[in-house]
This record gives sequence, structure tokens and C-alpha cells, in this order.
Amino acid sequence: MTRVALAFMLLCSVPIAAHAADKSEAESAIAGAVKAEDAAGKLGNRWIPAEASLKAAKAAFTSGSWDAAVAEATRARLLAERAVEQSNEQKTAWRDAVIR
Amino acid sequence: MPNRRIRARASLRVAVLAAAVAVLGGAAPAPDKTDPLADQKAFQASFGERFPQVPFADFANGPYAVSAPMRKQWEDIMQFPPYDFALDEGKTAFETPFANGKSYADCFANKGIGVRQDFPYFDTKTGEVATLDGTINRCREANGEKPLPYQVGLMASITAYMAETSRDKPFDIKIPDDPRARAAYEDGKEYFYTRRGQLNFSCASCHVGAAGQRLRGDILAPAIGILAAFPIYRSDWGSMGTIDRRFTSCSAQMRSEPLPPQDKSYRDLEYFLSYMSNGVPISGPGTRP
Repeated sequence: MTRVALAFMLLCSVPIAAHAADKSEAESAIAGAVKAEDAAGKLGNRWIPAEASLKAAKAAFTSGSWDAAVAEATRARLLAERAVEQSNEQKTAWRDAVIR
Repeated sequence: MPNRRIRARASLRVAVLAAAVAVLGGAAPAPDKTDPLADQKAFQASFGERFPQVPFADFANGPYAVSAPMRKQWEDIMQFPPYDFALDEGKTAFETPFANGKSYADCFANKGIGVRQDFPYFDTKTGEVATLDGTINRCREANGEKPLPYQVGLMASITAYMAETSRDKPFDIKIPDDPRARAAYEDGKEYFYTRRGQLNFSCASCHVGAAGQRLRGDILAPAIGILAAFPIYRSDWGSMGTIDRRFTSCSAQMRSEPLPPQDKSYRDLEYFLSYMSNGVPISGPGTRP
């Protein structure tokens, strides 16, 4: 029993290696971010932080930092998707704010 | 048998009536009809009710109309207006002939003196809104000169001079009976009220909903008359700036990627805002914190 407990404690103390992204994952993440940003751009609603993250993702990709590229591209994509949601919602919602 | 026919006809009538009701009013709510004059009356009345102590013409002075401490500071600053250098530069540039011998005066009604209040206008030839700044550059290009950058520099100086010659003249923006003009007005109205950017703000969020309130160190100017003082010397910029500079910096403050200067949306926005401000006197060039 003591041995099992010891083994369990040892297992817990071993850091579980984080998944490291590779080049193709970074490429795919950037492609997804670009697509989302283009959709936001077509609606005339690019968000500055999304643009900044996409730029950072591309820079990280160029320097071979795949993890950073995936993280930044994911952030850019999520922000761009929120921008698209905002624009779609505002297509009609803006009328509620009009002074009458 | 006849009873059955009557019943069938009655059912048919009910079905047709129900369909008509659904098409005419029962389905999605109909979009607002464009009525710029009604919009303008409601807009101006709203600010009048909100700031009953502010004389209508004083809305030309932006935040100074609604904040006594800021007004006091402004009055002190105006002992030596920071836009004076730009005015001098603009007057000289305006009066200096182009290489072909013509000048800006040849491109404007009344030789460009006292015309600021008529801009922007809807140009029925191009089918688009024409701003003062855009007309200055069209004038330059028509006379073989390079266009000026839209946000700073000589453009701000020339428009400062032209505004100064128009002081106290009330905005007199017209929307011609042309569906394209109505569409431009509607586009500007939509842009003004639409939330955008990461902060989920619209122009109206600050300049209608929170007008007169503080946003960090600033007092937010009411939307009515907000363009009357342009171009402005802004302490935050440390230099003069045009309406395009303000629109792009507002967009950036909302964390929304700004549009290019003189983009159609910005021109339509200027058209809408200026029309809402009809009657407010030109006070430009101005100074802002």
C-alpha cells in the first residue's frame, strides 16, 4: 500500500509534457484567423486587437515559434469571430438606439 | 351543395386575408422610413431637453458648452488660440495661385469665402457626398497639383482658414430629393448608431448616451454641433487635425480598425452629423483638450 501511494505521489510530481504545436498546426491556426479576419473585414468591422494578434502570429510563425503562432492566431480568430457576431447583431439592433 | 361552396369561398377569403396580413404587417417589423427632417427635429429636441441650460448656438463649442470648468480653461486658452499659426498658413496657401495661375477660389462658390456651413453636400453628378476637404483635393487635382494628406498639415490649415471666414454662419446642409442622397444620409445614420470595435461602442454611445459625462479625463461632447469647430487644435495631438483625423482616432479608441480618410462611410457620417446640426453656427477652427 505504501509502495502504491509512493508511486502515485511520484507520478503526480512528474510534470506532464504540454503538447507542442508543429508547423502545420501553426499554418492551420493562421489560416483560420485570416479567414475570420477577412469575414470581419467584409463587414467593415476589423478589431484592432485581432489585427495585432494576427500580425504577432505571423511574426511568430516566421521565427519558427509554433506554439506562440498558434496561441496568437487562436486569439485573433476568436476576436474576429466576435466582431462578425457583433456586426450581424448590429444589422438591426442599431435602430433601437436611434433618437426618435 | 351551395352551402359547401359558400363555406369554401369564405375559407378562401379568410386564407387570403391572413396571408395579406402576414405580408403587410404580421411578419418581420418594417424598417424605418427615411425622414431626415423628423430625425433632425427629434435629435435637436433631445439635446435641448438634456441640456436645457445650453443655448442652441452654444452646441458649436462642444464640451465647453456643457462643462463650466472646462469652459473657463478654454476661455483662458483662447487668449492665445493655438490654431493661429495654422490660420496664417492656411490663408497664405489659399491665396497662393497654383502653377497654372488658378487658385482655390476658382473651385468654390463665393470664391471659397464663407462657405464652410454648406459642406458636406450631396453631389448629384457623382452620386456621393462631397466634403470640404475632398473638394479642396479635387480642386488641386483639377489644376495639376498633388492632393494633400487628409488628416493633418496643410489640409487642416486651409480648412481652418475657410472655416474662419464662415464663423457664425449656421450649418445649412441639404438633402436633395434624390434616392441616392437619402441612401447616403441613411448610411451615415446607421454608421453613427452602429456599435463596433472590441469595446462595443458606437459614436452615439459617447456623444449621445454619455454626452457631457466624463470618460477618464475628457468631457464627452454632445453630437449636435460636434463638427462645427473643425478643424481643431487638440492638446492631446499637439497639432491641428481634420474631421478625418478625429473619425479615425475615434475608431481606434473603440479598438476598431479605422477606415481610410474620406471613405464613403466617413463622408456619409459627416453628412448625417452635419445635417443633424443644421442651425448650429460654424465656430471653427476650434481647440479641444
